[in-house]
Amino acid sequence: MRDPLIRQLSELPLVEPDRARTAHVRLRCHARLTRTRLGESVAGAPAAPDRTSQFWPPLLATLGVVYFTEVIVQALRVYGAP
Amino acid sequence: MSRAGLPGVSTAMDRETELALVERLRRGDADAFDDVHSAFNTRLFTFLVRLSRRRDVAEDLLEETWLRLVTRASRLRADTRLGPWLFTVARNLHISYHRSRVLEDSASASLWALWPFSQVRSSPFEATAASELERRIERALAAMPAASREVLLLVGVAGLEPADAADVCGVTPEALRQRLHRAREALSRLLDEQDAAAEAPAPRGRTSCATR
Repeated sequence: MRDPLIRQLSELPLVEPDRARTAHVRLRCHARLTRTRLGESVAGAPAAPDRTSQFWPPLLATLGVVYFTEVIVQALRVYGAP
Repeated sequence: MSRAGLPGVSTAMDRETELALVERLRRGDADAFDDVHSAFNTRLFTFLVRLSRRRDVAEDLLEETWLRLVTRASRLRADTRLGPWLFTVARNLHISYHRSRVLEDSASASLWALWPFSQVRSSPFEATAASELERRIERALAAMPAASREVLLLVGVAGLEPADAADVCGVTPEALRQRLHRAREALSRLLDEQDAAAEAPAPRGRTSCATR
């Protein structure tokens, strides 16, 4: 798409932003990149094992087995062994 | 700054380099950011400053564009095309800025004013234009509605391919072609009007300056 008018537009000069501000923006972006990278590395690290949370599942399973065993024993006592 | 020999945005870097940079950006590589910044900073600013016609606004929008990139760097898609991505963000930021300005100005607070049509304002580049033609084009661009100006800036000045400019504007390629055609016609008309105004004989007996 190179009609003469578009070509004339393409020949308009580029405009440079303020250099001091450009340097400031660059530093600010570097800082944010670092913060983002550190934040994600902390978030992605595996959590330390929680001993309290590891305690409950086996306890509940044991209580469940004890409960159903007692149910079966009571049922056999009431209805007699087959 | 001269444009002689500089590639357009769509060809500022080859695809392999671009993909590698995106991958490094996703990992938070500051050197990759510097490479992208060097490749696109001036072009983005050129687009924003001609779109907004204010250097201070363009500087703010440019900074915000880069901050958006680094904030979202880790979430970039691996096949991201940086040029269209950056120009999309820059354009959207300008639209948001323009709408917020219109809403703040109670005299312009109307639904019609929410569309980014701009009031006629002179271009800050007229005074520094290297040639008469350049001055005329800058003046005509500044006089156009922002919606028309942006498509000419994306395709003509920034050098985006029409398909990429369509992505930036959020329209289909066909719609972009139509918009570009209308914008091109409008620019041509404005340039002709300038020619006619320049050739019109000065009215006799009047000393007042004509204002536009």
